[in-house]
Amino acid sequence: MAIILHLDFNSYFASVEQQANPFLRGLPIAVAGKGRHSIDVAMAHRGSQRIRIDQLSFQRSVVTTASREAKKRGVKTAMGTWQARKICPEMLVIPGDPKKYGEITSRFMAILRRYADSVQQFSTDEAFADITCASGGDYLGATILAQKIRADIKDECGEYCTVSIGIAANKFLAKLASESKKPNGLTCVPPHEAEDFVLTRPLADFCGIGRRIEKHLERLGATSVATLRRLPLSLLLSEFKSYGYFLFNSARGLGSDELEAIDDPKSIGNSYTFPHDLKTDHEIYQNLLALADRVAWRMRKQKFIATHVSGYVRYGDFGGYSFHRRCKDPLIDGLEIANTTWEVMKEKIDITQGVRLIGVSASGLLPIGGSDSLFDKERRKARVLQALDKVTDKYGSGAWQRASTMKTSFKERVSGWHYDHES
Amino acid sequence: MHEFMNDPVDVSVDFTGRRIKPKRVRWGTKVYDIDKVNLVHGAREGQKRIFYFSVSDAANFMKLKLDTETLEWRLVEVYAP
Repeated sequence: MAIILHLDFNSYFASVEQQANPFLRGLPIAVAGKGRHSIDVAMAHRGSQRIRIDQLSFQRSVVTTASREAKKRGVKTAMGTWQARKICPEMLVIPGDPKKYGEITSRFMAILRRYADSVQQFSTDEAFADITCASGGDYLGATILAQKIRADIKDECGEYCTVSIGIAANKFLAKLASESKKPNGLTCVPPHEAEDFVLTRPLADFCGIGRRIEKHLERLGATSVATLRRLPLSLLLSEFKSYGYFLFNSARGLGSDELEAIDDPKSIGNSYTFPHDLKTDHEIYQNLLALADRVAWRMRKQKFIATHVSGYVRYGDFGGYSFHRRCKDPLIDGLEIANTTWEVMKEKIDITQGVRLIGVSASGLLPIGGSDSLFDKERRKARVLQALDKVTDKYGSGAWQRASTMKTSFKERVSGWHYDHES
Repeated sequence: MHEFMNDPVDVSVDFTGRRIKPKRVRWGTKVYDIDKVNLVHGAREGQKRIFYFSVSDAANFMKLKLDTETLEWRLVEVYAP
């Protein structure tokens, strides 16, 4: 039977900030995402402007992580910063610094790879590690190994960057175990204790049971693990289709112990929430083109061309739509991606509602072929793109920009699966 | 007070193996002796490698930026409670 570790940083971005700046320790702080008056840390470090952080309003910005002290006062992740400040007026808001967090994530993953048989990164601050062989196959060995990993994290990431660790026979249980003791917990659930352990946990703590499914289960009379166990599999399948298997198994502490390898991407996309709603076609197209250029650059960097594009639009009232289109010819250039997406987007868009977010994504990815095009125009374009990519590699993203997108500027994302500076 | 900036500074460092540790910062006319290096992280600006040192003395936090191409130090962030 496998032995799986789940490791989860506590209040990740806030802890990294408190590690870097010891004067923030013990204080309620929130790391803010990009917002109207937030700043891009990388840009601020290059510019000549002096910026007082306590004078920034962080409008339209959300709390990506709250420190333990802020959480105790009721501040929650994804809350608007204005709302969080209402709850906790003494809270300090810090602009997020993705490069700092990215480096700590890399160190964390390197430590895990040093000890584990295999590793699956689950998010920027969470990972599973299979330690079946490394631990010698027993839970005492697994606990000792978990403590070694914890000591290395303290040495290499900093004493304030703590993790909660769960040890169990599958990924579901290991995650549930790590969630059960925070901060800095270590919870070991050997197989013979699994069924009893699951009974002690609320359904809301299950990874895979969100608010919607919890409500649906409530309507069926399942408000706890014990009551969920009483529901027959046939009922769960009729109500939740194949997801019923997951619910049936998880109530019994059963789950997969296979760590997933990261395959080639299925799609490459970029979206952006604007600091103010966009009100003209021209503004939307400019921003779409700038986003498409980013997508195209990431595609070329990973040696892909796209055969499908999709786009999505979200309005000020959070309504919106998405669409998908198959392309006649494979796409490699940002301008082509933007124009293909715009053809569909402009037909459907209701500009009077004000556009809060747009996104563009390239899918149906194929490896770039080795042979040159027969057409001179295409060959010239390929050479230009190669030259532009060299400039980007040498001087970083933002080294060149189309004249028509000069009025657009995107702040780096703080939260999410990927950091912008790594793509 | 928490402020972002990009001011040139003089930094004295200790070399220990392959690592460097900032010891003293001269910012304008003021000199700060560093008590602790709390975090070091790297970043890339294109092919250029940049290192950031989050350091503190008894009363201040500073973030220093070292450009490995020009070997220039900049003070990019200060925080005083």
